[in-house]
Amino acid sequence: MSGAKHRMRNKKMRDQPTSVTYSASGWRNGGDTPAGRASDFHHAKGQDLPQQGGGWVRGHQSGGSVYPKELPKYITSTYFARARSAEVKAMLKAVNKTTGSCHTAGALPKHMRRRAMSHNTKRLPTRLREGAQRMLEKSLQAAKKEKKEESKAKSRKARRRHGNLLLEFNRRQRKNIWLETHIWHAKRFHMVKKWGYCLGVRPTLKCYRACYRAMSSHCLLQDLSYYCCVELQGPEEQLLSALSRLTSKDTGPTFAAVQCLSGRRQGSVVLYRPDQYPAQPLGPVLFLWRPRSEGSTHRQLWIWGHPTLKQDLLSELQALCQCSEAVMPVPEPVPSPAVEAVAVPTKDPPQKPVTGRKRKRAEQDSDGQPAKKILGDGTRSPTCPVTWKSPTTGIVINDLTMEMVRYRLIGPLSHTVLTEALSPATDCEEAAKSGQSCFWWPEYSNQEQNMALHREQADVFQLLKGVYSSTEIPAGSVLGLTVDDPRITLPRRRVRAQPDLQQAIGVDEEKRRALTLQGVPEHCCQSALWDRSVRDNVTDNKLPEKELNRMRSELLVPGSQLTPTPLQGRVPMLLVHQPGKQLGQEMPSWGVGWDLLLPKGWGMAFWVPLVYRGVRVAGLQMSQKHSQHKGAPHFPHDYPDCPAGARFQDEQQAELMDKFTRRPPAKRTNYIKHGCLAPFRCPWQQLVEEWVEIVKETGKGSDSRTEVETAGAPPSRFSVLRSRKVLKQLSAWCRPSSSRGQRLQRGPQPPPPPPLSPAAAAALRASHGQGLAWARFSLLAKGRPELHAMVCAPTEEDLRLLSRDPQCAGPQEPRHTDHFRKHVKSARKARKSKRSDEKAEGASAEKATTKKPDAASDPSSGSADQPGSVPEVTSTPASVSDGDSSAIPALAWPPVATPDQDPSAAAPAAAAAAPAEAERLVLGLWPEPLPSVTSHCSRVTLGWVTQGDFSLTAGCGEALGLVSLAGLLHVLLGQPPERRGIVLLRNPSSLQYRFAKVTIEA
Amino acid sequence: MVRFKSRYLLCEVCVEDRSSLLLLEERTIYQAVKAAVARAHGDYGSALLILSFAVKYVNAHTGVILIRCRKSHYRILWSALPFMSCLENRGQKVPCSINCLHIGGTIRTCQKFLVKYSTQQLHRMLPHCTTEAERDEVRRAVLSCSLEKERDVEEEEAEEEWDDE
Repeated sequence: MSGAKHRMRNKKMRDQPTSVTYSASGWRNGGDTPAGRASDFHHAKGQDLPQQGGGWVRGHQSGGSVYPKELPKYITSTYFARARSAEVKAMLKAVNKTTGSCHTAGALPKHMRRRAMSHNTKRLPTRLREGAQRMLEKSLQAAKKEKKEESKAKSRKARRRHGNLLLEFNRRQRKNIWLETHIWHAKRFHMVKKWGYCLGVRPTLKCYRACYRAMSSHCLLQDLSYYCCVELQGPEEQLLSALSRLTSKDTGPTFAAVQCLSGRRQGSVVLYRPDQYPAQPLGPVLFLWRPRSEGSTHRQLWIWGHPTLKQDLLSELQALCQCSEAVMPVPEPVPSPAVEAVAVPTKDPPQKPVTGRKRKRAEQDSDGQPAKKILGDGTRSPTCPVTWKSPTTGIVINDLTMEMVRYRLIGPLSHTVLTEALSPATDCEEAAKSGQSCFWWPEYSNQEQNMALHREQADVFQLLKGVYSSTEIPAGSVLGLTVDDPRITLPRRRVRAQPDLQQAIGVDEEKRRALTLQGVPEHCCQSALWDRSVRDNVTDNKLPEKELNRMRSELLVPGSQLTPTPLQGRVPMLLVHQPGKQLGQEMPSWGVGWDLLLPKGWGMAFWVPLVYRGVRVAGLQMSQKHSQHKGAPHFPHDYPDCPAGARFQDEQQAELMDKFTRRPPAKRTNYIKHGCLAPFRCPWQQLVEEWVEIVKETGKGSDSRTEVETAGAPPSRFSVLRSRKVLKQLSAWCRPSSSRGQRLQRGPQPPPPPPLSPAAAAALRASHGQGLAWARFSLLAKGRPELHAMVCAPTEEDLRLLSRDPQCAGPQEPRHTDHFRKHVKSARKARKSKRSDEKAEGASAEKATTKKPDAASDPSSGSADQPGSVPEVTSTPASVSDGDSSAIPALAWPPVATPDQDPSAAAPAAAAAAPAEAERLVLGLWPEPLPSVTSHCSRVTLGWVTQGDFSLTAGCGEALGLVSLAGLLHVLLGQPPERRGIVLLRNPSSLQYRFAKVTIEA
Repeated sequence: MVRFKSRYLLCEVCVEDRSSLLLLEERTIYQAVKAAVARAHGDYGSALLILSFAVKYVNAHTGVILIRCRKSHYRILWSALPFMSCLENRGQKVPCSINCLHIGGTIRTCQKFLVKYSTQQLHRMLPHCTTEAERDEVRRAVLSCSLEKERDVEEEEAEEEWDDE
């Protein structure tokens, strides 16, 4: 009988009288009399009965069975009466107690049950009321214990009132920063708390393909305001000399690239710790120089980086520029809104409302501090320094996190969206210009040179209308602009921005060609956004939505445009062209777009007009897909050598592990059986080290020179290869020799790289032995690679198979055996028995308090299989890989292969030795330490996939991942030149290998 | 919901020697009744009886027994009971007769009847008492034939223990 059923029965039979007999027999008739209880009851009853002097005599014994009880010789009425009364008492107890369920509702027959009896005991018959009342109280108490009483001090209406709502919002963003578009996103997106921000992952509606279409044919919008901006100010030479230590020319153009330094282009670099290249990278950043102002060497530089990168970057920059002196932020003086409050009414007194508003304002004043919307970083304390100055070099570092809004438009038509949504700022009237005002625009536009610049910028912006695709603009172009408040030209309903090329044909053909060939002229890259004072002024003087609506409602013709544009509505901004796919030969400049840089506070004012131009909005998931389709590594996912990437790997492992353990054990994938050592985390360091070993072993006989060089190299951490030259060389080597792709190269032909030869490979290996190479894999036939799929080297047999049948599915991995299964099971059993023991003890203890101590439950009964008795290892597991690995003749297996047997045999032994460790074993996962990762399966592992999916651009499964450079060279050398660059991919939860072509894009 | 309906026979075992009553056991009664039915009604009767025949309650002090059988065939059992003349336990034969007090549809009704019946008997005993001590004893027994409030307290404790688990 199961425990619950048993308990139920016990409860039911508690008040039932049991038979009173004199021989305690275990006999059961009818099958439903609990025998144990009979004897129990007997004892209890026996005490009630009179002990009549010597009246009880011992009966005779017959047939060896004991006649246990004494029989009275004579009978008295006393005895008779007592026996009767005892029985009556028992019967009464049984009769008065209902046997059915203890729930009062259940005790009632069905036809007497009424609604809501459990809440109102008065609805019950009187005889049940008492019990019901008790139950009710008990349940109320339990409910109180469970969840704390929600303080509902205020009604919903009060809570939703604007000021209170703002207070609540401010409270909620104290821990994680909200972007300005947070509320908009929160209504439409799945939000996550990540990197100290609240970010949207993906929309709640299904739009994966729609977003892809938007990216490739129209426009996709993302809020990237969470990217952190660090501002550097100082003399040009000082800045460059400091920053040059962070970068290397090997990886491409640095901070000092001419185009970028002039401020015409935005650049991107991978930063390293000072003078540490190629080890210890920090991560990729975008940077933007402010164009030179005449006759001054003082420069301004913005470095945009991912939030996980910010702390590392800031500390490095401070050390480099010797900016140790933190400038304490001045306690914020009462900002210009106060001035504005005075200024606005004086300027347009007829617009001032008569009643209503006054009352509200007075009310707010009486409250004391009116609730103010948080702009920028709400988690930072106002006294935390954001500026650091260097006394020696004169460099000033400014942390501009959340000081600016950054939107990213992706797609070939993003320029059309921009030209439709934005309009260059209109000049204001002379009257406003002459008068003193607190806004920046009248003053700014007073100067003729500024206006000339503005007109020129507006012209360039108008030229964009005639451009067919954003691709035509030179990569990374920057355009400064001042625009009108886009809310004023908001269309009445959502429209899809379409290019109007018919109109543009023939107009300004020359200028447009100049734009597409030479980019934006240098002076047009200047913008007032670089000035902090202007930024703050614009932010503080933003016209609230309410005011705007009021002004609209006062228009003579409802729905017509607001003219003239209110003075506050001129916003400086920067448009930065975002290059699409630059490397590789397929889909050039896919995913091109524009970035918008705006002063803070204006986020929603620009967001809604952009959305009204028919763009799709996407979240973090799509930005990852964007970089995947571009074939670019995505930060921090694909930078395992950076500190942020390592942290990300930890988080990802924990997350995947959590997801794994949430499944019921029987439904979990047994990764051991699939021969997958590390489904949740890629051991890059181990991979690289093992490959160095393998190369050393194989090269021993033939090439002594390599050996000497590699032996001299100190053991170091792995690093991802980012040297352009080496990558170009590798990419040429990866292509089959007969590829037509080589002839497609545009531009001046670079000198052809040296052909792949053992010597050249050895030289490369010697310099980058610990390197990982970023590679793209496109599957030849079916298959969809997943996260952490293994990249393996094909054997010669596999290649023959492929040449016979190009559409073949690929080889299969033989199923591995799980030697840990036993230990996991025994450990679990031991745990369970231990737990049940504890429970039994607890129960018996409880029983002892209520009844007399009972010997029924013996605490030592279940201790036979305690965890100490984990069975010992019986046999060393047969190596699965050994038989097949000999199929690779090129790889004469070094002793590295033998650890495959050793650790797998040793690990269970260790597990058996320490039962505490056995508790940590999870069924289907290899326990630490891992055996050799390269030779664990029948095909040698080269690396792992970090992003993999069915690629909508290529129409086949595509994966991006990192492979060991040494391993890749090894494979390439072993393959015939016409079929070079073929590898195998295998998902962690599958035994099927798939053929894939490896491409290194450089 | 349909259940098997039963009949419960509340009987009293009458013996000459009160002390031999203490030999009473469930098994004894079970076998004796079965034999009696077989004798009276043959194989057919005993087979019908055996369907849900059970001895639910035996009190060796008062000689009260409770027997269950199927409602449709309780007459077979009922008619066989008067032919029982002795019970046998461990080689001892006790001559007896079985007096059927009540036939009920549930145990509960039988219990109710038994309460009434026993109290009545005690009440009848009271005037026939000879000695003072005896009278006292019987009076106390009569008085104790009711449930007090203390039952509730006990029950509550039990319930609480229950909820803690």
